[in-house]
Order: sequence, then C-alpha cells, then structure tokens
Amino acid sequence: MTTHDSDHAVDTHAHAEGHGGIAKYIYVFLALCVLTGASFFTYSDYWPYHEHPEVGRLFMMVVSCTKAMLVILFFMHVKYEADWKYVLTIPASIMSLLLILALVPDIGLRMRTYSPERKEHAAQSKAANEKLQEKVRAEEPHDAAH
Amino acid sequence: MAIAADPHHEHAGHLKLEYQPALPLPNGKLIVWLFLSTEIMFFAALIGVYIVLRFGAPNWPATHDVHLSEPIGAFNTFVLICSSVTVVLSLESARANKAGMAKAWLAATLILGAVFLGVKGYEYNAKFSHGIFPMFPRSRIHERADLNYGSAARQRLQAIIAPLSTKPAEALTEEDTERLALAKKLAEQFSTDNLVTLQRLADEVMPPASRSGEHDGEHGHGLNDEHPWLKLPIVIPGGNMWASTYFTLTGFHALHVLVGLIVFAIMMPMTLSAAKAGIIENVGLYWHFVDLVWIFLFPLLYLF
Repeated sequence: MTTHDSDHAVDTHAHAEGHGGIAKYIYVFLALCVLTGASFFTYSDYWPYHEHPEVGRLFMMVVSCTKAMLVILFFMHVKYEADWKYVLTIPASIMSLLLILALVPDIGLRMRTYSPERKEHAAQSKAANEKLQEKVRAEEPHDAAH
Repeated sequence: MAIAADPHHEHAGHLKLEYQPALPLPNGKLIVWLFLSTEIMFFAALIGVYIVLRFGAPNWPATHDVHLSEPIGAFNTFVLICSSVTVVLSLESARANKAGMAKAWLAATLILGAVFLGVKGYEYNAKFSHGIFPMFPRSRIHERADLNYGSAARQRLQAIIAPLSTKPAEALTEEDTERLALAKKLAEQFSTDNLVTLQRLADEVMPPASRSGEHDGEHGHGLNDEHPWLKLPIVIPGGNMWASTYFTLTGFHALHVLVGLIVFAIMMPMTLSAAKAGIIENVGLYWHFVDLVWIFLFPLLYLF
C-alpha cells in the first residue's frame, strides 16, 4: 500500500464512522446561538448578579468552554477522530496552562512590589479614583467650558 | 514500517514490507493539527497574559469608557458562528460531490468573514477617533488627572492657539475666532495645580461611563466629541494597558481571519468536488479554530 492510498483509506475510514450529518450541524449552530445569548444576558439589566461580577465571569467562562467544546467536537470532528487527538491537544493545553501560571508571580502580582514612586505614575487605583470623583461631584462646576 | 515475515521463505530476500502510518490521519490534516497545537499555545499565551495583566492591574476601564459596544461584539460572535456552519456545509457538499453547493457555502463563508473584519474596522475606527490607541512616546491616554495631564492639555491647547494667534485678525474666519476663544478659555482652566479641578476638567473632556450609568450604552458627550478638532488628552485609569492588550488580542485574531479569507479566495476558482474535500476540511479546521479563539475573546474583552 502506498502512502497516498493509506492516507485515503484512513480518511474515508474516519469519515465512514459517521458524524450525524447536516441536522447535527444545525443543532450545534442553534446551541451556539443560545449560548452566545446566555453570555450576552449577563450584560442585560435582567442579570441578577451585577453586584457580584465574579458570578457573571464564572458563568461566562463555563458558557465559553461549552461553546468551545461544541465547536471542537462537532465542527472540527474531533468527536469522531481516533485517539491521536489526545496526543496533539492535551500536551498543548497543559503547556498553555503552565505558561499562564508561570506569569502570575512576576506579572499578576507585580503591584505588590511596586515602590511608592512607581505607584504614583501607575494607573490610579479604583478606590482613589472613586474618592476623587466624589470630591468632583461635591464641588459643583462653576465655570464649565460648555 | 512493519516487517511481515513469510513463513515459507524465512530469509532476508523474501521479507514483505508493509506501510503503516504512525497516526491514522492524512499528512495534510496532521500538519494542520500540528500547526493548530502551536496556535493553541500562541493564543493561550496572549489570552493568559491579558488575564494576568488585567487582574493584577490597579484599575481597569469600564467597557463604555473605552467605547466598546457589547451588542456589536455579540453580533460579530454570531457572524463567526454562522461562518463556521457554512464551512462545514461546504465540506459536506464537497464530500457529496456537489461542487456548486460547496462553492456557494464557501462564498458565504468568505462574505461572513469579510463582514466580521468590516465590523472590526468600524470598532477600531471608534477607538482611533477618540484617541484610544497605543502610541510612542506616549498615547493621548493618561492614567490619572495629575499635573502631567494638565501640562499635556495645555501643550495641546497651545498648539491650537499659536497658529491662530499669529494670523491677522481680518484673516480669521468666524470658526477660527470661536476655536481661539474656546482654546484660550480651556488653557486658562487647565492652568491649575488643583487635582480635583483637573479631574473635573478631564471628566468634561471625556465623561466616564460610571457617571452616566454603566448600562446607558454610550458614554456621555464630552468636549472631544463636541469639538473633534480639540483632540485633548484624556484620562482613563488603566486605559494604556487596556489599549495595548485589546489591540494585540483583536489584531492578531483579525490577522488570522484575514489569512483565512485569503485562503478561501484562493480556493474560490477551484472545482470543489469530492477530490478537494480534504483541502476544505483542513482550511475548515483552521477557520473553526479562529472562531474558537473569538468565543473566548468576546466575553473576556466585552463582558468581563
């Protein structure tokens, strides 16, 4: 068997295993639309957890991971592929997670070691900004430019 | 490579060689998947850096302060999802040897991808027109309304006043006179070392979204919107880091969309019969990955 024949054989074999046809794609598409709507719902006034942004963030990440799995499994046909899929995707995912974790001490926690001089030139903190805004509101503008 | 020994002729000259692929998938698909695994790490690094920078930052701007529109982001997400469906439909048509249908679905993908880029261009323009972009040696975004901000505002106003002041009075148009008067008035107001006054002036230049309410859609109308020629520096705490991460993430994503569109355009003149199904599948894998990245970028950039 030549390399080309072999490629063709494995390809048709993978395809012959079946993937549910067009109806499945339509269902996945509808599910993706509904899930996008669910993410967008966190922005609407009906979302009950505006006071706790971490709830919305967790919800959105769960929704995004679900959407990603739908795309990977059905549109990219990974559900129907042989076990080689784990060889390529799992190490890459682990390396990505390790990379993010490696960034936390030096970049994520960078503000902990900032000198006072450096903090002065960094972005104004949320608390300081709110305090200043309160003072601005207390001092009604007398000479607004417009 | 496996060696199958013939039991009747067990000497070297009669060994039968049989090819067995290391992985049960075509070479082209293997290459695409290897490429995608590097892409996973590339975008994971970009998204990871964004998350780490953002949650370690002393302040991060509200989405409306940086002129982001959630409905536009959601629309673009919908467009990319639709384009993912059209690619798989193109692949299915090609596999069924319906070359015309395959081409039609591919054309639809091309159009949807172009719509995505068009909307992205519109969004970029909204940022650029408000002075929100990274620039060397420094951008128009200031991290706080401090004395440096006041000085930068005065410098900008002087740049407006100087050429108008040297013009003879009769050469000044009505518009020039109005501009000169406003610039002089603002220069006087900015000549202060009172930080509360500077913050108030910064709010007048570009009112923060928190003042008009987070869910009011657009930010309030400021001096820079009313008089686009002013181009005064603006105060957005965390705005520079936001601009750097936003344009890096969306820029690299848009670049990937563009590459996908170029490949689709190259494929358009081909006869997309069953023989070309492998190519559509490989390009489709790349396109789905681009969609996948946006699935994470949309909530992270627009809704977090």
